[in-house]
Amino acid sequence: MYLPSGVYHETYAATHAWWQTGFVRGKMALLLLFVFTLPLYANLYVVSVANITLYTILGALGVQLLIGYCGQITFGHAAFIAVGAYTTAMGVLFWGLPYPVAAVLGCLLAGLWSVVFGLPSARIKGFYQIMTTMAAQFITVDFIITHYVSRVGGREHYFSLPPGTITIAGWPVDSEIEVYYLAVILTILCLAGMANLLRTRVGRAWIAIRDNDIAAETMGLNVVYYKLLAFFAAGVLAGVAGAVWIPSLLFVSPEHFQLSWGLWLVGVILIGGIGSLHGVVFGSIFVTGILELLKFAIIPLSEFYPALSERFLYVKEAAFGLAIVLFLLYEPRGLAYRWQQIKNYLNLWPFAY
Amino acid sequence: MRRLVLWMVALALALPVVAGTGWAQDIKLGSLNDLTGPTSDVGKDIALGIREAVQYVNDTGGINGKRIRLYLYDYGYRVPEAITTYKRFRDFDKVAGVLGWGTGDTEALSPTVGRDRIPYLSHSFAAKLTDPKTAPYNFVYGTDYSSNARAAMTVWFDEVWMKDPRFREARSKGEKPRVVMFYGFPTPYASAPIKALKNHAELLGFEVGPDQDVSLVALDTKSQVLTAKGFRPHLAWHGNTTMSVAATIKDAQALGLGADHIVNNWGFDEGLVRLAGPAAEGVMGLAVTAYYGDKVPLMDKVVEYAKKLNPGVAQEARLIRTVQSWAQVLMMAEGMRRADKAGKLTGPGLKEAFETLRGWTPGLGLPPVTLTATDHRTGSVIPVYRIKGGKFELVKQVDLKARWAKEWDGEWFGY
Repeated sequence: MYLPSGVYHETYAATHAWWQTGFVRGKMALLLLFVFTLPLYANLYVVSVANITLYTILGALGVQLLIGYCGQITFGHAAFIAVGAYTTAMGVLFWGLPYPVAAVLGCLLAGLWSVVFGLPSARIKGFYQIMTTMAAQFITVDFIITHYVSRVGGREHYFSLPPGTITIAGWPVDSEIEVYYLAVILTILCLAGMANLLRTRVGRAWIAIRDNDIAAETMGLNVVYYKLLAFFAAGVLAGVAGAVWIPSLLFVSPEHFQLSWGLWLVGVILIGGIGSLHGVVFGSIFVTGILELLKFAIIPLSEFYPALSERFLYVKEAAFGLAIVLFLLYEPRGLAYRWQQIKNYLNLWPFAY
Repeated sequence: MRRLVLWMVALALALPVVAGTGWAQDIKLGSLNDLTGPTSDVGKDIALGIREAVQYVNDTGGINGKRIRLYLYDYGYRVPEAITTYKRFRDFDKVAGVLGWGTGDTEALSPTVGRDRIPYLSHSFAAKLTDPKTAPYNFVYGTDYSSNARAAMTVWFDEVWMKDPRFREARSKGEKPRVVMFYGFPTPYASAPIKALKNHAELLGFEVGPDQDVSLVALDTKSQVLTAKGFRPHLAWHGNTTMSVAATIKDAQALGLGADHIVNNWGFDEGLVRLAGPAAEGVMGLAVTAYYGDKVPLMDKVVEYAKKLNPGVAQEARLIRTVQSWAQVLMMAEGMRRADKAGKLTGPGLKEAFETLRGWTPGLGLPPVTLTATDHRTGSVIPVYRIKGGKFELVKQVDLKARWAKEWDGEWFGY
């Protein structure tokens, strides 16, 4: 790890600190300041793009935990987000629970539900696990939620929450800015929690299982227990994402949690970098940002070149696939690794030998 | 070489700046479309039609001399992208109104547009969108799915069940007509009219069979058709889009389901005839406007602009969807003209302007549109068509309000 000369740690705690120098602390303080004051100078459009990015981060975090840290491939993560979102919505709508209580309930239920579909991981891995996690998607969203849950209360296939029903300690959360602060705080908590969790016994056990599950077992780890724990944690994170989704739209429908969204999240961590928390953030910013940048290029131009918006747009779909292929070919460790390289370069500049 | 390419790109980017002058004032109009997602089979034609119709409006004087600037964007039926695009339209492009696409974006954004007070004229005709109490800023340009389903069922009951000799024996034995419904359970568009349809079946004395879940992308529906066959239905309702409706109708013919078919409007177009071939013969269904190339007022312009602006797209490939998007754009333009004349071309002003429409129609076979501040249903007269010899012919128009006045204003409103 890079440390400028003249920095000496005198305690073990200091050597394990997240931010080891004044420069880094200052940098992080500036980042936090930027994140928390963004709505003051950005317009609502930018804030809503940020909200979608944060929602993607929260969703991809669970996928990263399972794929990147515990080596359990999952294609059905959208299902657990759906469980979180639906439990939160129903808690608020039908059971009259305050939003935070409903959200916590949603997280727990999503976690437990995820454990159910993690059980097969005791016996299988790899391609077979892809099948079981896809089964989670179809059983949860296409079957249970669509056929039964959506019919609760005679509302037919979707729940729409009247504005003002979502409050946190008396504060209504229904505009972009309020949702933004909710999402930012939850994202920071989840990221910090994950980062610390990965340094504990549990996190190291996950990484050991990812690297070689047989070796991990011979070392005395209860592999099944830790795998299920990973599924539980990932499910809880998905529940958080689901709970954030509710106030941003005041609306929830099974169409929001299709298989393609689960695959999208896997794409996010492939682009961002597998096994890296930075990767989750960079990947989410990249895939959300690229689509928005394309809008800036295409919407004004399409007035003069109509073909751009009617035919050329297939390129957008292709671009996402192409981005993944190119990242796998040329940057298999994702954006996070590139970020590390850039930092190293700047740290050593101008004498990078 | 490289430099040349760079110059060309720079020139292409600069052209809009040079060309963008000459109009006094522009009115911005956003449009969310699906060109790449699961509903792109009809979405592409819609997008072409929207651009042609906007060009027509601008060529014929625009909105009282102001030009419409169209911002059309594909969201691939991904709801998160629909949201950010809508918000871009709202905060960045500052549009006066939005042309929406399917249930995915329309219902998801309904609470948001109500709060932002931006009129949202969609291709989704879910009945919930027609109740101004719950969706004040949502508008549709045709009759809603629930009324459509009721109308189709009524016409089949009146014209086929009560008149066709095939059913004489069943009628004389006092049998009830049996109906079965094929639709994609998870798809809001497909499941939207089911509650109304079942209510109507009860009203007309139908027996309702087990619902069959057919995915919008289904190519094989044999197991659903076989399950339905066990119920020996006389009538089958198809609530999906063209592709899966064609698959179901073909399977129904192959497996001898023996039922007549009625199809909701997104499954009933020229594509159905092409895909289902002879199996589509005699199928009845709903249409929002006249079919592409039919002899109705203004259709000549539709064909002219299609040929002029999109010469690369074959005429045979153009569908009723083009005509529908013309109806959508022309209704938006009419609302804008009225709002502009009143000097209030804002969200609430446009909403009020829409609510002054009384029996308005641009031609194109669109039934007259009447909107009020308390009811956003466009009308109660609904034409039902039938495929005969590969062409669409009108079977009958039903006026639901004239026949069931009490229910129309009461329990049918908004579902």
